[in-house]
Amino acid sequence: MSDIVYPPSIPTDAYRKPSDKFRTRSGFFLGFTIILVLVGAVLGFNPFMLIYEFHNVQDLADRALPPNFELLATQRSAYASLAETVSMAFLGTLFGGAFALVLAFLAAKNTTPSKALSSVIKNLFALERALPSFAVMLMFQIAVGVGPFSATIALTIGSIGMFGKLFSEAIESVDPKPIDAIATVGATRSQTVRYGVIPAVLPSIVSNWFYAFDVNVRSAIALGAYGGGGIGFQLVLAQKTLRHDDLLAWVFFILILIASLERVSDFLRSRIIKKGALK
Amino acid sequence: MSVLSEYSPKRYLKVSLFLTVMAIAVYFAMKACRVDLASMFESLFTNGDVYLRFIDLDWSTLWHMVKAAAVTVLLAALATPLAACLSIIVAIAGARNISKPWFRLPARISLGLERALPDTVVLFVFIAAFGLGVFPAVFALALGSLGMLGKLWADGIEEVDDKSLEAIRANGGSLWQSIRYGIIPQVMPAIISNSIFRFEVNVRAATVLGGLAGVGIGYELSRAYSLLEYGRMGMAILVIVVVVHLCERFSGFARGKLLISGGLE
Repeated sequence: MSDIVYPPSIPTDAYRKPSDKFRTRSGFFLGFTIILVLVGAVLGFNPFMLIYEFHNVQDLADRALPPNFELLATQRSAYASLAETVSMAFLGTLFGGAFALVLAFLAAKNTTPSKALSSVIKNLFALERALPSFAVMLMFQIAVGVGPFSATIALTIGSIGMFGKLFSEAIESVDPKPIDAIATVGATRSQTVRYGVIPAVLPSIVSNWFYAFDVNVRSAIALGAYGGGGIGFQLVLAQKTLRHDDLLAWVFFILILIASLERVSDFLRSRIIKKGALK
Repeated sequence: MSVLSEYSPKRYLKVSLFLTVMAIAVYFAMKACRVDLASMFESLFTNGDVYLRFIDLDWSTLWHMVKAAAVTVLLAALATPLAACLSIIVAIAGARNISKPWFRLPARISLGLERALPDTVVLFVFIAAFGLGVFPAVFALALGSLGMLGKLWADGIEEVDDKSLEAIRANGGSLWQSIRYGIIPQVMPAIISNSIFRFEVNVRAATVLGGLAGVGIGYELSRAYSLLEYGRMGMAILVIVVVVHLCERFSGFARGKLLISGGLE
């Protein structure tokens, strides 16, 4: 029978005293929370309104249920708005992506003709990303009037900023060895780009393009609400005329539209990239 | 003979078929969008001087615009932590390695639904229930981020090394202890870095959504447009560009700092 071996004794206050790390961290979180609560107070934001004014949600449910799915049959503009939103996003992505691609080749460090041009274009991309597309749309509405055309222009310009950056980064991260090899055997500048850079960046460009389409469908809805037409405008209309059953029906249509567009774009993307149709 | 195969008719057929389909799609899309480049250029050339009025900024509104922009940034600053806290709960419920299947499925479905719904739509539903103001804007922003962040983190938690979880369980750790000591330390850096990035995204979104909900700089911009006060509009756009750019710089800086200093382990 051997003696019981106890673990070495630990001073009991070691458990009581929180470590320095714990204290700085909890202090940081406490401060952060206090700041957030103050911000909420300043803005008049009270998250508990969701609970104690829940009767608003019940009222809405009374008004909105059942959703007025018949509006597809009764409103002739319904299909037109769906088509407008999808077309805006499609055209914006296509043209914005095409412009962005050209500009990205001029902006990327390894394909740019001059350094000054590269930095000018990169700064333009940054400026465009900071400029919200509805501001662009409002500016163009002065020239072309309210409607899907202005939203198309805004989406095109917005896509240039967003995807110019992505494309130029993709081009810059291309493996330089094949390019050197092509240049060594006497290829011209355009041949180097055609056979060295494009095959390497094409998959990422194509998948970014599809991603851009998904993003642009969403922003097309937001732009529509500012007078760009399409589904966004239908949402505003339903909200302003207090037709909440229409509003809910549009919510369902948008869900179905976005889910099916995602399916289609996934299918096309995997087909294009895996089958190498663009090589 | 690679040159010959390069120009094979089969290849050309595919490419030309693709181009034809695209051309038809573009034609119908342009028709649906009522694209009219000729009239656009005509009106730009004849009435282009309207745009000069944007440059004639209305500096007297600067302070007003800066205050409105601060409200927009604060909307994002409120919505992002709200979404982060909510999404970590949903993510834990939606991760395969710590949650039960009947818990996981609804969590994953609601995350997917939230990602599919554009935040404009969420905003309109909230406006329909609660009226215009800060409340619907913040909740629309938070729900918009919730889907994205929740999915990222649920996936991140599922990728956590199983061995450390098992070790904690084997030592008699409870479910909460294995979450606290096995999962949180591993996913925390990604969570914070993603949240900061999401803040940047939310500032942009808050400009747009705020305009529809009647708060912040987006609303000032759309009001100036309705009043046809171009100088005011130019000022609002200038402030938006500066503020969004600053937030972008801040987010990049903060993420870089956190990653380099490793202050999250």
